[in-house]
Amino acid sequence: MAIDTTIYVRSPGVGSALFDWIQMLTGVGLITFMWSHMILVASVNLGAGAMDTLAHFLEATYMAQVGGPLIGATFLLHFILAARKVPFRAEQQSTIWKHARTLHHLDTWLWLIQAGTAMVILIMGSIHMWTVLTDLPITAAKSAARIQGGFWLVFYLILLPMVELHVGIGFYRIGVKWGFIKRSNRKGLKRFENILTGIFILIGLITLIRFMTLPV
Amino acid sequence: MGRKLKFNIFRYNPLDSNSVPHTDTFHLEETDSMTLFIALTRIREEQDPSLQFDFCCRAGICGSCAMVINGRPDLACKTLTKELPTEITLMPLPVFKLIGDLSVDTGTWFRAMNEKVGSWIHTDKTMDPNVEEERMDNSLAEEIYELERCVECGCCVASCGTANMREDFIGAVALNRIARFMLDPRDQRKEREYFEVIGTDEGIFGCMGLLACEDVCPKDLPLQDQLGILRRKMGWSAVKHLFRFG
Ligand code: HEM
Ligand code: SF4
Ligand code: SF4
Ligand code: FES
Repeated sequence: MAIDTTIYVRSPGVGSALFDWIQMLTGVGLITFMWSHMILVASVNLGAGAMDTLAHFLEATYMAQVGGPLIGATFLLHFILAARKVPFRAEQQSTIWKHARTLHHLDTWLWLIQAGTAMVILIMGSIHMWTVLTDLPITAAKSAARIQGGFWLVFYLILLPMVELHVGIGFYRIGVKWGFIKRSNRKGLKRFENILTGIFILIGLITLIRFMTLPV
Repeated sequence: MGRKLKFNIFRYNPLDSNSVPHTDTFHLEETDSMTLFIALTRIREEQDPSLQFDFCCRAGICGSCAMVINGRPDLACKTLTKELPTEITLMPLPVFKLIGDLSVDTGTWFRAMNEKVGSWIHTDKTMDPNVEEERMDNSLAEEIYELERCVECGCCVASCGTANMREDFIGAVALNRIARFMLDPRDQRKEREYFEVIGTDEGIFGCMGLLACEDVCPKDLPLQDQLGILRRKMGWSAVKHLFRFG
């Protein structure tokens, strides 16, 4: 191992620790956002009026105009920090891939799924946010028209499970890393997390069906 | 009649320039309470005297016989063949330097690790052999002992995706070792000194919580719980540090 010749710089560096904090906090922020997001979008199941009222409230209070870009910034920050952990070098990628295939270990696979879904979310999430935020106000009719066009239906059918998997695994992993999930309660909480992810995907699918049948 | 076992064993001798990495197949009939130690010894005695592998205590105490058994790192001496399917694939532990076939050099790695984390009690008190030892609360002694049980087999390191990808990651065993000394009231190191060793991406913040270490450790050390505790402690330590020095 090379000798660290930077010791004249003030030590100890707290960089890694702060990055890890912010990665976790942006993760928690994005999870909270995704849950609120689900409430907004799924409100269409109660009728177009419910969703329009909620969307109108968000815009009247400027939560959409200010919150939207803020989420965008959080998203970007989270990506930059988490990407430090993603194996971009071909050699590392082949190592972790072979490692996971021989180890037969679910949690190791979950991490690969998390890193894989992350790349899809980075691209598709950005496109989605751009599309919605440059076409305010949000209304149920406009969303329904988009989805009934077909392209966006396929788009969301891919993005939905990607996001829910990433969020679900992320939630579990924050618990593990920061010691909220312990050996004694790991099994139960993992099950709870799987069920929660399943429920969110289900609500998302029901919502998409509702959009497909909404009169435009 | 016992089951017919088929062994696929990794073979490579780095000292022999004609040797290329490959697997050899051996067949054995299973006997009562056969362990992988017994199986490998029989293969070496009856079929191929050049087969290299490590054993010492044969009782899961010394940690020298760790290898990758059907994909998972474990101690060969305490693995019964009857717990495995009839086809058994044996590989040397990754991450560590290969000596030959199933034998790896964990010693050099562990020595470097122990030096890096300062794996001894740091104190400026000198020992007086004539006075009675300082007493320690029994429950604390047990807590320390729980972390002290590590046999340095290397399974946790070999199973860790992070350690496989990044050579500089110190691994669950080193983090557990630090946790052990943090508990010990005789060690006079301050939180800040521990932070210097593990408060980085090579230390606790590099751990991605994949928990393979927890799931393979043959001695069932509470690695998951210790990693969680360390991340919190070191996380707070960084925050305090930030506000103290601006
Ligand atoms: C820009 C796209 C994204 C990328 C590239 C990305 C990447 C990653 C990666 C690689 C990890 C694992 C890091 C580790 O194990 O240390 C992670 C963790 C996480 N991600 Fe993302 N992510 C993205 C978007 C999102 C979104 C949109 C959400 C939530 C809606 C989210 C929530 C989380 C959470 C909660 C964690 C766990 C945080 C932690 O372990 O500290 N991510 N992300
Ligand atoms: S922590 Fe467990 S797996 Fe790791 S070296 Fe010690 S005994 Fe082996
Ligand atoms: S939890 Fe995972 S990343 Fe952390 S030390 Fe264990 S196996 Fe490695
Ligand atoms: S030979 Fe000592 S642990 Fe297996």
